[in-house]
Amino acid sequence: MTEIKGISQVNEVCEGLKKRIGCEFVALALQNEVGPDVRWHYASGNLNDKYKRITVRFGKGIAGKIISSGSPMMLIDFPNDIYGKVTDHPIMLAEKLVSCYAVPIFFNSSPKGVLLVGKREKYTFSEDDQEMVQDAALELEQILQNQILGLGGYV
Amino acid sequence: MEYSATRNQMSSYIIQAQEEEIKRISLELHEGVGQNLFSILTGLKVVESGIKEDHVKNHLHEMTQLIEKTMQEIRLLSVELYPPALTALGLLPAIKSYIKVYTSTFGIVVELSSIGEEKPILEQNSIAVFRVCQEALTNIAKYADTSNVRIDLKWSNSKLKISIFDFGRGFQIEDLEKNPYSLGIATMKERMLLTGGQCEISSKIGEGTSIEISLPI
Repeated sequence: MTEIKGISQVNEVCEGLKKRIGCEFVALALQNEVGPDVRWHYASGNLNDKYKRITVRFGKGIAGKIISSGSPMMLIDFPNDIYGKVTDHPIMLAEKLVSCYAVPIFFNSSPKGVLLVGKREKYTFSEDDQEMVQDAALELEQILQNQILGLGGYV
Repeated sequence: MEYSATRNQMSSYIIQAQEEEIKRISLELHEGVGQNLFSILTGLKVVESGIKEDHVKNHLHEMTQLIEKTMQEIRLLSVELYPPALTALGLLPAIKSYIKVYTSTFGIVVELSSIGEEKPILEQNSIAVFRVCQEALTNIAKYADTSNVRIDLKWSNSKLKISIFDFGRGFQIEDLEKNPYSLGIATMKERMLLTGGQCEISSKIGEGTSIEISLPI
């Protein structure tokens, strides 16, 4: 078992993405090996360590919706114009994010994780930004797949 | 005076009716939908164990995982609506159980202490206290910008006192009127007044906010 934060390739992809997009926060949520829980295993640009204790709720908030639907999502001006309650978006509250774009990470064709980039200001992520996040998610899928097969999982 | 008494009775009736409806939906979710999903899950696992083809087995496994996630969400939703521990075990176990869900939802650590022996409280009073604590913690997650909260319960023969302190950014009490959560605070105070208790809020910028709840037993 290995920690996601300790995988240098994951750090490189996430830090590279953060720089290219010019965002303040990047995080990676993944379903635990055992059970249905999805947790934030990696974050960069975080203000505190709340993300480590947050369990993403299936179908709730941006990450929960992505895991349940398998489609990307964007928030432009949190907490305005959101679907559901403000408290359904704990990562936005914990990190004081105002905008974010997040995409699913697939394992065996099922969404098992989320890659999220966020800013602490109102922002619309352009098509180029969205493409960069999608590419990074594909890279992460590959890295994590190899890690899981080679090292017997992650924590 | 008479008008005020009628108004109080009406508020109390509306709150109680709302709580009863919430409890009904919560039980329906837990006992009805939740149990049905469990039966489907058990059935699918039996089918999965008897299947040889890998692709069908994988597909079934994905389905069982989806049901497990849905069951977990139904359970959380049901507990969020109405904590079963409140009627079965009492206020303190219900608060403890809510804190666990709260920390895993918002990542905020809550330190809880209870001094004195827990006393039995009327269900409508204990749900009022529980809802006030729930509202206070939700406000903290939304506005306080903190990672730690402390809750102290003090039980005496005639009174339960609860203090909640958030170590957060605090706010000017004078600005409460303009504050986005002033309505939530007014509801907390109203709920406690209807139980014969009180709810006081004090705050200092940069130091945190304190909520003091008292309930006659």
